[in-house]
Amino acid sequence: MKALLLSSLLTGLLSAPAILRADDTPLFDGQIRPLLQKRCVECHGAKKQKGELRLDAKLFAFKGGHDGPAIVPGKAADSLLLKRITSRDEDTRMPPEGEPLSDTEVAALKAWIEAGALWPENDADRAASSDTRGQHWSVQPLRTFHANGSKLQVTQPAANGLPGGTKTLELPPDPASPIDAFLHAALLEKGLAMAPEADRRTLIRRLSYDLHGLPPTPERVERFCNDTAPRAYERLVDELLASPHFGERWARHWLDIAHYADTHGFERDQLRPNAWRYRDYVIEAFNADKPYDRFLREQIAGDALAPNSAEARIATGFLAAGPWDFVGQVEARSDVLKRAARAGDLDDMVTQVVTSTMGITINCARCHDHKLDPITQKEYYSLCSVFAGVKRGEREVSAEDAGRLSSQKARLTTALAGTRAQITKLAGEGIDLAKLLPEGSAIDLRNGAVTTAKQGYQSNIQTNRLQKVTGVPGVLWVFLPDGRGPVTVADKQEVKGVPPTSGNFWDAIANRPLNAQRSTKLGGTDYAGKQHSLLAMHANSGITFDLAHLREKGGFTDARLSGLVGFGADQAAAATRADFTVFVDGALTLQRLKLRKDETLALDVEIPATAKTLTLVATDGGDGIGSDLLFIGDARLLPGAATTALGEKDAAELARLRAELQSLEAELKQVPEPQKVYAVVPSEKPPVLKVQRRGDPEDEGPEVTPASFAWTGHAPAAFGGQDTPEAERRRALADWIVHPANPLTPRVLANRLWHHHFGQGIVTTPSDFGLGGAKPSHPELLDWLAAELLQAGWSMKHLHKKILLSAAYRQASTIQNSAASNLDAQNRLLWRQNARRLDAESLRDAVLLVSGRLNPERGGPGFRDFKYTEAYAPIYQYIPPDKPELWRRSIYRFVVRTTPHQFMSALDCPDPANLTPARMQTTTALQALTLSNNEFMLRQAEAMAARIEAGDGPQSARVQRAFALAFQRPATPGEERAAEALVGGQGLFALCRMLINTNEFVYLD
Amino acid sequence: MHPFPPSPLPKATLPRRDFLQQCGGGLGGVALHALLAAEGRAATGNALAPKLPHRAPKARAVIQIFCPGGLSHVDTWDYKPELQKRQGKPFDPDGKLQFFASKPGNCQGSFWPFRQHGQSGRWMSDLFPKLAHCVDDMAFVHSMQSKSALHGPAMFMANSGFILPGFPSMGAWVTYGLGSASEELPAFVVLPDPRGLPPGGVINWGAGFLPAIHQGTTLNTHPGQAPIADLFPQNDFSHLKGAPEQAGRDFLQLLNRSHAAGRAENTELEARIGAYELAARLQLSAPEATDLGGETEATKALYNIEHEDIGPFGRQCLLARRLVERGVRFVQIYCGAENTTARKVRPNWDSHEDLVRDHGYWGAVLDSGAAALLSDLKARGLLESTLVICTTEFGRQPAAQGAGKGRDHNPGAFTAWLAGGGIRGGSSFGETDPLGFKAAVNPVYCYDLHATALHLLGLNHEKLTFYNNGIPRRLTDVHGHVIQPILEHSA
Repeated sequence: MKALLLSSLLTGLLSAPAILRADDTPLFDGQIRPLLQKRCVECHGAKKQKGELRLDAKLFAFKGGHDGPAIVPGKAADSLLLKRITSRDEDTRMPPEGEPLSDTEVAALKAWIEAGALWPENDADRAASSDTRGQHWSVQPLRTFHANGSKLQVTQPAANGLPGGTKTLELPPDPASPIDAFLHAALLEKGLAMAPEADRRTLIRRLSYDLHGLPPTPERVERFCNDTAPRAYERLVDELLASPHFGERWARHWLDIAHYADTHGFERDQLRPNAWRYRDYVIEAFNADKPYDRFLREQIAGDALAPNSAEARIATGFLAAGPWDFVGQVEARSDVLKRAARAGDLDDMVTQVVTSTMGITINCARCHDHKLDPITQKEYYSLCSVFAGVKRGEREVSAEDAGRLSSQKARLTTALAGTRAQITKLAGEGIDLAKLLPEGSAIDLRNGAVTTAKQGYQSNIQTNRLQKVTGVPGVLWVFLPDGRGPVTVADKQEVKGVPPTSGNFWDAIANRPLNAQRSTKLGGTDYAGKQHSLLAMHANSGITFDLAHLREKGGFTDARLSGLVGFGADQAAAATRADFTVFVDGALTLQRLKLRKDETLALDVEIPATAKTLTLVATDGGDGIGSDLLFIGDARLLPGAATTALGEKDAAELARLRAELQSLEAELKQVPEPQKVYAVVPSEKPPVLKVQRRGDPEDEGPEVTPASFAWTGHAPAAFGGQDTPEAERRRALADWIVHPANPLTPRVLANRLWHHHFGQGIVTTPSDFGLGGAKPSHPELLDWLAAELLQAGWSMKHLHKKILLSAAYRQASTIQNSAASNLDAQNRLLWRQNARRLDAESLRDAVLLVSGRLNPERGGPGFRDFKYTEAYAPIYQYIPPDKPELWRRSIYRFVVRTTPHQFMSALDCPDPANLTPARMQTTTALQALTLSNNEFMLRQAEAMAARIEAGDGPQSARVQRAFALAFQRPATPGEERAAEALVGGQGLFALCRMLINTNEFVYLD
Repeated sequence: MHPFPPSPLPKATLPRRDFLQQCGGGLGGVALHALLAAEGRAATGNALAPKLPHRAPKARAVIQIFCPGGLSHVDTWDYKPELQKRQGKPFDPDGKLQFFASKPGNCQGSFWPFRQHGQSGRWMSDLFPKLAHCVDDMAFVHSMQSKSALHGPAMFMANSGFILPGFPSMGAWVTYGLGSASEELPAFVVLPDPRGLPPGGVINWGAGFLPAIHQGTTLNTHPGQAPIADLFPQNDFSHLKGAPEQAGRDFLQLLNRSHAAGRAENTELEARIGAYELAARLQLSAPEATDLGGETEATKALYNIEHEDIGPFGRQCLLARRLVERGVRFVQIYCGAENTTARKVRPNWDSHEDLVRDHGYWGAVLDSGAAALLSDLKARGLLESTLVICTTEFGRQPAAQGAGKGRDHNPGAFTAWLAGGGIRGGSSFGETDPLGFKAAVNPVYCYDLHATALHLLGLNHEKLTFYNNGIPRRLTDVHGHVIQPILEHSA
């Protein structure tokens, strides 16, 4: 019946079965193509590709989509297309909106597929199948340049089906720079010309901010303005490029692209105390004019290229500079969550490397093939595979140093253990305080009961209340101290000196590692090991021992408390602090406040024969209980000198051993921690990666091997197989990126430099050179700059100088040219320089310089202009910038991800979660409020006023000095009058405050 | 480069004033006035000048209440009798599941009984006795899901549509799309919990890659402190106020004007002069907007602002109403914090060990403030033009956490509710499975919630784009459908 119906329908529709012939265009073009266009292409076409399927062109239609081939010629029953349009399930039936296809339409499609699904090509099909994206401008080989007298020959090599060609450019005698020749040629076409050169004061201000991020001193401006030497300008450029301030300025641009910060970001935004070494590396690299290819290779694979170089290892901080989710990577117990976090982590690395160096938006190929550029999803995951073997983390900057220090430590620790054993042998075993408790058990602070149940966060215990301990002979009481009121440590025994605490507690006092403890080692000794013991005492907790009982048990009279107090926390975690206090009969006997996580405290307390109680108290150091995983290794009561009735010789030996113990401990303390950097930690054997369909780590496709994308075609993009060692993968990628035939790397860098010198790139999307990015305004100039960079051995300073010496750079920005404005309002042709506003860092630094307060200290750990409080999610509270440490240059600011500095953010300092190739510039009322009222600005205005007041002379001289400092020019008579009136009424402070708020201070001509 | 899409519909088809009056039905004169003022302000290059929406809006402002930490849907809005029936039975007999911090314990029914309320007969638990009176104004989306079970990423997703930091929050997108209706107040204001910031910190209301002008402005609500950072000089400089300040400003503008005179081509200079003038106005308007002194005793009592525990949130809600009245476009209120050292109860809804204690505390806080806000907005005729959204970053598990009295994170299901601004009161959308473990009928992500909110504001979520590093970015990424069933028919 059904078959009959179908065939009659077909007959009706197609009029004759003979019509289903192989070469029948009328059927397809008359029926099928319009049907697909009408009902399918809206979601499966050029704009949208639902299910990764396109039905708008032959090539795609037969390729199929995410679920497989849509059309199997000759087999309608196997064709997903037919299955989906005839599905009875409303959720899967296509199309999802509107009426289902009519029986007639279904029948037509079925008949068409059964007959072989013939799809005669039309223009649209042919356009789709001839992919011209290989001819995109940015992936073509660089043009070559040949100067011949006053002529410059520009040759575009033939490639990718493009013909190539040669043209000749006239080099004008003056200016001699080919840069200006290219720009002149383009301006001339529009009948325009460059603006005249800016005046000297403008030039030196422009250069100084551009290269140093600081204003020139009035004296230097004066000198330059009066320098009549023909090469005065060039000498100034050389001087500025040679200054260490140059690296401090230009590192900022690179760190923006690297989205560098000093904390992890996300919920548990912990500190990265050693990230700064990478920041200093970037500064030094720019100052030393490190060749750009080497700069990139070191950042991507320095540890692989030069395993013994600290510098090269630090450089890989680049790969780790972005945000990292501690909770997802470490804390989460679910593997699904961990895989998702790791996928995000790899995406961040790949995106950063490829976007910063080659300006390709690689991350667009994570969930599907890149929609614009010819980069497949598989290529994206192949790039991920290059980094599959590295994770972010703390790494010793020198393996050699770390090894030396660690063996030094091991030697001392072994010696210590030996000395301790000898002491025990002479003085007796004593009593192990941890082992008073049964192995693995703990005392619950809430009720004093012995428990083996796992305990967690305890915030609901009444503080300072003694809980009697039952069932542990030798232990009398436990308590949760808060130090705000008197603390009772035993019957009627109130003590003073317990620091104030948060009154919270974690876990219990235990003869086992704490629930959450990460390490049981102190100074190389593992106290969970057989020969040792571990008494866990998380802050805040207190325990009081019954000395009479212990004395009887141990058979001694006087005694010594010995042991080593330390943290069982991760060394890489934040710099938490805690206190440890010992009371004997309620008298404070030993106290160490604010013990740092990387420190230990050796206990050696004499306990007289008459003492009744011994109390140990761990408190939180005033920064909350987070990470205060305190414990005591080998906590023992050893028989005292009087007890151990030794012969004279043994007594002397014991004294000697104790002295030795002390000196060994002191020596151990002297051994420094090896220097570390927050960078990447490689693993021997990288895991195998697979394509993640739709970017979902739980939906894996085929395996990938380390490789890059084929689009540029400048060098083989396959970097090996699954067995390729980790280091080899990154080295190969780095070499591929800086390969001399790679047209993107030098073009992207040349454009970035240009962007920062002109406020606008030759390509206005500096991190997107793909089909979605902007086209170059001067493609030949861009290539000339790129070629010049390569020819100069990747010297960035060489290229800077070429640009800075051009007439284009030296133009005035204030010129009025209505003809040019009408033709080219965006100034893409550079008929003048662009005026620019100072970015947040330059503005802050400039204010400090004119106030006389700038602290020139270079390098080292960043300054922390906040109060840090350890907590599950650490708290960062900004403090008034009122000390020299906080007056260092902005590049040395410790950058916190979750809590951006409000002053900096208001001035468009970007969120370091983003790769920022170009700063935004907004103008807001909040900015005006920040600059006029923020305490930083007001204090600096005060300092500037004090600095000027210290000078001699009349009021007018002071006003002139203020103008000179702020603007490096004299005040006009009108300005001077207005300023004197303001100073007369409100003092110099008011004048200074307003000068650093002016447009002239904030904008650069 | 300013790729804001052209608004094809209104401009092309209607004379401007007609359009404004047509869509003015629910907007009142404020919007009309503000939109007309746009023409004047756009000319000065003000990035926050009001812009025309893509279509006639139903809502002109949004108040979003965010409950960080993970609000449990099965104890509040999502009635699950089957879960109650299975009380104490193993939830995951095979032991295959692994939650964020624990293995699932036994089935745990709601800690509060559920009842039907209002004419719509919507179910709500006894945790919210006051909100129970508002159900006929509220629409519930029961099938919300998140892509992360971690607070940080899930917060980012709920706010920006992406689990990574660095993307603009909804408030920033709205400001970018519509500009500001107030010349004297910021367009996007955030009222964090007085106990501290939510998980992920201030970047929850960041502008991401949008211009910084669109980021949320945090309002300080501590008595005696300026509501906006740097509104006035502080500490040693707090004497700087009043008339002498004007002399300094006059001097500043004198210098700025003579500087600008020779640089007519740089319009930024004029904009910056304008910004200082606006700043001076803000010094007057912000304290006025945040001063609750002028509110009646009845209003203060309605919001319960003097109560030690629930007062601070009531104060935020009252402030939100005052801000919306004064043209603020988007107000976000946080009901809970994160990185704080507050004691006794959890600082937010993250009830791992004692749900009765923590939801009990925060439930009373939310109930009082949100119910007051809804009834106050309604009484003043503001509810129809103000979209109120209450959401969280994920739900909680229907099983107990281990053997305890808490619940672990559940990204598979949670409930968000909306009211006012074109929402059909008493409606609902989507369902969870019988236990409330996963969204089962019409599952959605925040994309749909965002698309719906933008729709009510007159914005097409697919057309509101901004180019960043190769992609025209959207709040809804490549997803999002307007949830039509919870909209009034005309919306």
